[in-house]
Amino acid sequence: MRELGHPVILCNRQIVLLSNNIRVRVYALRQSVAVMRASLFITCYNDTLYPETGRAVVRLLERLGVEVDFHAQQTCCGQMHANTGFRGEAFSQAKRFVRLYQEAETVVIPSSSCVAMMRDQYPGLFEELGNEELRRQFAALLPRVYELSEFLIDRLGVEDVGAYFPHRVVYHASCHGVRALHLGERPYRLLAKVRGLALATLENVDRCCGFGGTFSVKNAEVSSAMLAVKLQDVIATGAEYCTALDNSCLMHLGGAMHRQYAGMKTIHLAEILASTEDAPAEATL
Amino acid sequence: MNYSHAELDPRKALPFPKAVLPVLRNPQLRKNVAHAIDVIQTKRARLVAEKDDWQELRTAASAIRAHALENLGAYLEQFEERCTAAGGTVHWAADADEARRIILDLLRQEKASEVIKIKTMTSAEIQLNPFLEANGVSAFETDLAEIILQLGGEEPSHIVVPALHVNRSQVREIFARRMGLKNLSDDPKELTNAARTYLRQKFLAIPTAISGANFLIAETGSVAVVESEGNGRMCLTLPRTMITLAGIEKVLPRFQDLEVMLQLLARSATGERMNPYTSLWTGVTAGDGPQSFHVVLLDNERSSILAKAKQRQTLKCIRCAACMNACPVYRQTGGHAYGSVYPGPIGAILTPQLMQMKFAQSLPYASSLCGACYEVCPVKINIPDVLLELRAQVVNQERGRAARYFDPMYVGLRVANLLFAKAWLFHVAQRLGRIGLGLYTRKDGWIHSLPGIGAKWTQTRDLRGLPDESFHEWWAKRGSQPGKEGK
Amino acid sequence: MKAPLQSRQQIPRQRILERIRAATLDCAQDPAMREEAYAALPRAYTRHGQLSAEARLKLMIERLREYDAEVVETTPEALPDAIAAQLAASDKHSFLAPPGTPSEWMVTAAWKISGLEWTIDHGLATAEIEQSEGVVTAASCGIADSGTIVLHHSASEGRRVLSLLPDWHLIILRASQVVETLPEYFARFQQPSGLVTWISGPSATADIEMTRIKGVHGPRFLNVILVRDKS
Ligand code: SF4
Repeated sequence: MRELGHPVILCNRQIVLLSNNIRVRVYALRQSVAVMRASLFITCYNDTLYPETGRAVVRLLERLGVEVDFHAQQTCCGQMHANTGFRGEAFSQAKRFVRLYQEAETVVIPSSSCVAMMRDQYPGLFEELGNEELRRQFAALLPRVYELSEFLIDRLGVEDVGAYFPHRVVYHASCHGVRALHLGERPYRLLAKVRGLALATLENVDRCCGFGGTFSVKNAEVSSAMLAVKLQDVIATGAEYCTALDNSCLMHLGGAMHRQYAGMKTIHLAEILASTEDAPAEATL
Repeated sequence: MNYSHAELDPRKALPFPKAVLPVLRNPQLRKNVAHAIDVIQTKRARLVAEKDDWQELRTAASAIRAHALENLGAYLEQFEERCTAAGGTVHWAADADEARRIILDLLRQEKASEVIKIKTMTSAEIQLNPFLEANGVSAFETDLAEIILQLGGEEPSHIVVPALHVNRSQVREIFARRMGLKNLSDDPKELTNAARTYLRQKFLAIPTAISGANFLIAETGSVAVVESEGNGRMCLTLPRTMITLAGIEKVLPRFQDLEVMLQLLARSATGERMNPYTSLWTGVTAGDGPQSFHVVLLDNERSSILAKAKQRQTLKCIRCAACMNACPVYRQTGGHAYGSVYPGPIGAILTPQLMQMKFAQSLPYASSLCGACYEVCPVKINIPDVLLELRAQVVNQERGRAARYFDPMYVGLRVANLLFAKAWLFHVAQRLGRIGLGLYTRKDGWIHSLPGIGAKWTQTRDLRGLPDESFHEWWAKRGSQPGKEGK
Repeated sequence: MKAPLQSRQQIPRQRILERIRAATLDCAQDPAMREEAYAALPRAYTRHGQLSAEARLKLMIERLREYDAEVVETTPEALPDAIAAQLAASDKHSFLAPPGTPSEWMVTAAWKISGLEWTIDHGLATAEIEQSEGVVTAASCGIADSGTIVLHHSASEGRRVLSLLPDWHLIILRASQVVETLPEYFARFQQPSGLVTWISGPSATADIEMTRIKGVHGPRFLNVILVRDKS
């Protein structure tokens, strides 16, 4: 390491310093400051289909000095069931989530729709099908449940995570991110600090991509029509990568891009934020 | 020539996923709908942005409507009393059939063989026009869009701009054919003039009118109608007899509540600060307007909706159509696919409830749950929440049916639930899935076509094949020491 | 034989009201509680405008002009002349006036414009109203925020049909009648008249491809004289 830059990130335990040649170094300050722990709830579909997103979250958070743990018993938040009308089933998964995580210091979830499921639907489910104790346990847990960008900005207070991603990128503001979680500027603030990244402007940014979970199958044709319209706007940006805080939208958009040889790839925002000169995002390799 | 073949009776309509197919392949129709929606949306966005107190207005409107519904009985009685005192007559109709009969009786008393109408979705809901025709009364719609539909044999596809799926050359064709105007051009101005001339005689000659109501004011017994063209004012002013058909939910406690509703309604509906004409009248006024005035209060399942705490909010609706204008599904499909006079997100929740959940069960699924409807709704109806509630009811109906075991979605979700209950089962399923999907995965690592229900996905989208290692497997190998990323 | 309409009505009425009562049992309120609940409804929206009197009038005029309305300003003294000037410029000859119209307005105009014909509405038949080319009325209120003019259909504002059938409508609005916001209108008129018409621009439609077309059934031409009286 050569000259030191100014410390840009201050977490509980570590200071991240940027040097002049913009290499990122991490210094652990072995002090008495309490260590921030985050329990990663990876979600069922990320676990199965997009493990690289989970790996990126781990790498990113550890780089920021957060101690990450992973509960091997986790499965699903229940969103798919709740949104299709299977309330009882969704309830049993919701209950499972609360049981597993009630002791967690913080829970980080790299999927805005799953966080929205918890915030918007769990209370109703517990009221309807659960008991008072469960409801209380969840109410106590909820403030510690974060979507990834919320965790970075609201909990850690960082915008510059020391990422490097030299590509033209378009951000798809997923419906749940925009209208359920009100993420607002958070993702843009994070993206703005990624070195090398050029952010393209997306027309009709808050318009749904047409995924909608089982909607994409139950109403496959309408879903596809919505996707076609969305994709026009996304492709028109001329970006190389389309990113989001929800792999479900990206699975939808990316599936069409691949089918249409569109020359654009999808990548979860966590992977961009985890990416550095030394360790570029897996999707770019 | 008919530009769309719509069936708006929920009892006979095709399920939504089937009904959309011809629309999705109709470029003209999709272009017409998207164009109209984009124009309204742009205007609405501009006017909402200039209103600093928009959210406060929504909060007030939502509270006023909720309060009115919670005290509906009392406010309706008050409305009835005041309206009657002012010279009006109030009738109560438990269902569509009763409402139609009351109206027909009134028309027979007037010996009316013709009647002029102001656009009312409620009359479409009870299928009033065909009933009147069958009983020898010709009903003439007077709203421009409704004339286009009536003369063209079309069905409404939107609750505020019902003919938005018809473009100018189609309007020209309809008017030329039905009004006998061979040399008509497709200039909207000329078309509008043709309608003006066509209707002027009807307004002056037909002494009986039917209207809907935007609001009933309990405090004063007044009725308010919001419109743009002046056809409403014509119908409210010129005839001898006026019959207003209104859903029981339309009541507002006080006159002053209009200060909230009128600020929200036009901005939400047409992207105007205020619509050109809003009329309020109270019973009959000597020397001014109809001297015989009747209000028909229609229940038609509204009281059942009222009884369900979670669904009650459906009745807060002021029919501004902002939800359908904002809806990405509606933007692709237009209104007819909803198989109801109420399309879009509000239709998706209202129609099945009006049908006691016996018909239109596909409608609660006609949404990607993107939440745009809730965001724009001026009275804050949480449409996604109601959709979920109705979906749960549809699934509960399905649970009792043997046919459920032939529904791959049903079976799939039930099985998934068992897997999610135990992590080890879930993990086994992942491994089996990897093997199973591996059979369909091409060399490039992607799946291009799947059988069964999966084909619904792969008909337009590829799917990346499952990775060799799931996240939890990676984590187990790596251990939880920081800094070891397994790379 | 059918029962008379009135008594047949009683049965569905009771049935519906009972269903409604049963449906709202969870939130049943007695009249006092209802009043209280109503009074407690959140009303954090803007009630009072912030504009100066001058800016308020400017906004009113601006909004009216956005609606393609013709607006001229005048003083109370010059009002009859201003009316005459508007009538003359309209290129129309037969005008209606509500019974409460000040005779000075009519006399001045008749004096200045040859061939001008006034018809005062003392219960004119629709056909007679239909024959007239224009109408002159007063108003009850102007709302600057939305460029709305409110008619309460008093003797000087005329019956509703009067300001509906003629193609040309001239409204005399006084500066003291102009408020900024819609809630200010409602604050001013807490006991509403039985008939109210809120007019925001001339009759219009956008039913054909969202193209705004002026003048479907109501007057196609809306003219306003704003009288600068003392507020
Ligand atoms: S549900 Fe809301 S947005 Fe939709 S029509 Fe009703 S009031 Fe308007």
